[in-house]
Amino acid sequence: MASDEGLTEECTRLIPLAEIDPRDERFRITTRRDSDDLLISIGRLGLQAEPLMLPGASGFVIVSGFRRIAACRGLGWDSIRAQVLHKASPYGCALKAIAANSLERPLNLIEISRALRLLDQYAPGGQAPPEDTAALGLPTHAGMAARLKTLCRLPAEVQDAVLEEAVSFAMACEIGRMEERLALAFARLFRELKTSLNKQREIVTLVAEIARREGIDPMGVLSEERLSRLLEAQDLDRNQKTQRIRKLLRQRRFPALVAAEDNFHSRRQRLALGENLQLAPPRDFEGTRFTLTLNFESMEEVGRLREKLDELVDHPDFKTLLTGKGRGFEETQVP
Amino acid sequence: MRITALYIDAQVADWPETRSICSRFDVPAKTVANADDVYADVAAAPDPVGRGKQVLYLTRNKGAFIRQCPGTRHYTCCGYKILHVGTFCTMDCAYCILQSYFHPPVLQYFLNHADLNVELEQLFATGTTHRLGTGEFTDSLIWEPWTGLSAGLIRKFADQDCCVLELKTKTTFIDTLLYLPHRRRTILSWSLNTERVIGSEERGTASLDARLKAASRCAAQGYPLAFHFDPIVIDEGCEEEYRRTVAHLFSVIDPRHIVWISLGALRFMPDLKGVVQRRFPQSKIAYGEFITGLDGKMRYFKPLRMKSYRAIAQAIGSHAPDVCLYFCMEDDEVWQDALGFRPAECGGLSRMLDDAAVRQCGLNAGGNRR
Repeated sequence: MASDEGLTEECTRLIPLAEIDPRDERFRITTRRDSDDLLISIGRLGLQAEPLMLPGASGFVIVSGFRRIAACRGLGWDSIRAQVLHKASPYGCALKAIAANSLERPLNLIEISRALRLLDQYAPGGQAPPEDTAALGLPTHAGMAARLKTLCRLPAEVQDAVLEEAVSFAMACEIGRMEERLALAFARLFRELKTSLNKQREIVTLVAEIARREGIDPMGVLSEERLSRLLEAQDLDRNQKTQRIRKLLRQRRFPALVAAEDNFHSRRQRLALGENLQLAPPRDFEGTRFTLTLNFESMEEVGRLREKLDELVDHPDFKTLLTGKGRGFEETQVP
Repeated sequence: MRITALYIDAQVADWPETRSICSRFDVPAKTVANADDVYADVAAAPDPVGRGKQVLYLTRNKGAFIRQCPGTRHYTCCGYKILHVGTFCTMDCAYCILQSYFHPPVLQYFLNHADLNVELEQLFATGTTHRLGTGEFTDSLIWEPWTGLSAGLIRKFADQDCCVLELKTKTTFIDTLLYLPHRRRTILSWSLNTERVIGSEERGTASLDARLKAASRCAAQGYPLAFHFDPIVIDEGCEEEYRRTVAHLFSVIDPRHIVWISLGALRFMPDLKGVVQRRFPQSKIAYGEFITGLDGKMRYFKPLRMKSYRAIAQAIGSHAPDVCLYFCMEDDEVWQDALGFRPAECGGLSRMLDDAAVRQCGLNAGGNRR
């Protein structure tokens, strides 16, 4: 690993917990704040791996072992055995802090982000050698690393959404470019809906485009009353909420298209086609050819379909479906 | 936009017209072996599209000067021929498809007019009626302050009787053209839009009133005119604004001078949306109710197009019932809905426009028809 390694000396010492500064988290990688699992194992088996400490002006700075130290405090211990680093550069400490996590377990996205930022923060020249990054098992692709580094600077609530996997990496990067209150609003929405990336993207795009179209703040779109009511509806599950919110937004973004779709569906419903006959319009009503699908398995069924087709030809709604596009198949249209 | 860099293809560096054009600019000219340096200059800019409007490259057209307008089978094309005299534009319209059509977009002016003339002579020799225009890959008249392009073309077309030239513009650069012996073989045409769209989306173009006044001056010199409501931008209340624009048009122009008027709603390849969002963050045109058309372009939802077309066609019809009105790239359903007939009933759109050209421009009525 880094050339810095040779300058670091370690010795094991008994350190009073009172001399460890719990607020100094400069080397913290882990996102976990709980230590209940460690409290049980350390309480029963003792401290199996010693935390790493750096002597500081106002006590010891934790390099690795944040959760272990918290567990020891929870157990009411006065002191612990720890490895104390001497002559260690900040960059050397950063390498050790990251290695203690990344070489032991898979890091989550926020931890990777913190690790990459920590390296940059302390690396001589402001950028860690790619060899160090690779040795720590961190991504080395410059573009990917740059995007990852933004994650740990996001508002805490957005980071929580990432950790819960309610917001994917791609979406986190997208909402990370927004102003904070909007990013938070989206994070809250997606934590509630727990929906797929594609649907999240659709929602973000719809909100942004409605705002541009109507000349309003995107927050105004997200805090619209009907949307809020849907989010709070007790009788809807997450999928139903997602579906209705998407429909609501689409209706606002494409009012004429959605109205025509609704009119088309109403008229088609009135045709009472039955399950063996399907009528599909051209995509987005742009083309001129409709598709009629007939399902049958006997001559009797074919006969019934023929009768239904004869009925259709004279049906005013059918005529409007074929000729009423110019007026969006409006219900008020004279058939 | 002002030209800030001038590149000259080494192959045309010594040509008299090259020197003449260069003398009209007070920027240093750089002679280059090929277009690579020009493209590098444009591509390196933070806004390559904007930069492309400031960099003029004088060169040769290494391909055909006369090209068929690229229509698609899904929509009715008018069978226009493009006279490829140059590329790109100094004006900056938010919706301009040229922003994403050329990679990178560069203002090029082709100087090998001897080749252009050969192609024109060959076309004229067929005796077939053709409509040609220079305003597809560039604005026809932006070149007027620096070149004698249009004057040369107008004279050339005046010497034959089967083809008509259309010069399509959003400028008012007509002074050099007014007193030419055109024999009505050149149609001067203007893209028209509502004052709101011109003000918000057509940066650097002439106002509606200025365009119409320029058209009126051309009509006074006997030039046939054409107008293109293209792109029609559809949003709340747009129909009323287009009606007012139509009324403005006919308050200035006598319909008898008009060869044709086209209507075309805004349509664009999907790539353009990102360009508009980046270059024109205040513009709302990318947020209309667009669907993907049968040709892959983004188009307004068809019932919306039909509604706007009906309103505008009705307004035009009330002022000029006999004018040749057509749609650029729409299908029979739209024609039938807005105009009450399909082009096939008139022998096809090409025939309709050829007939209008014969009628209004005095082309040889006995000429071969396509």
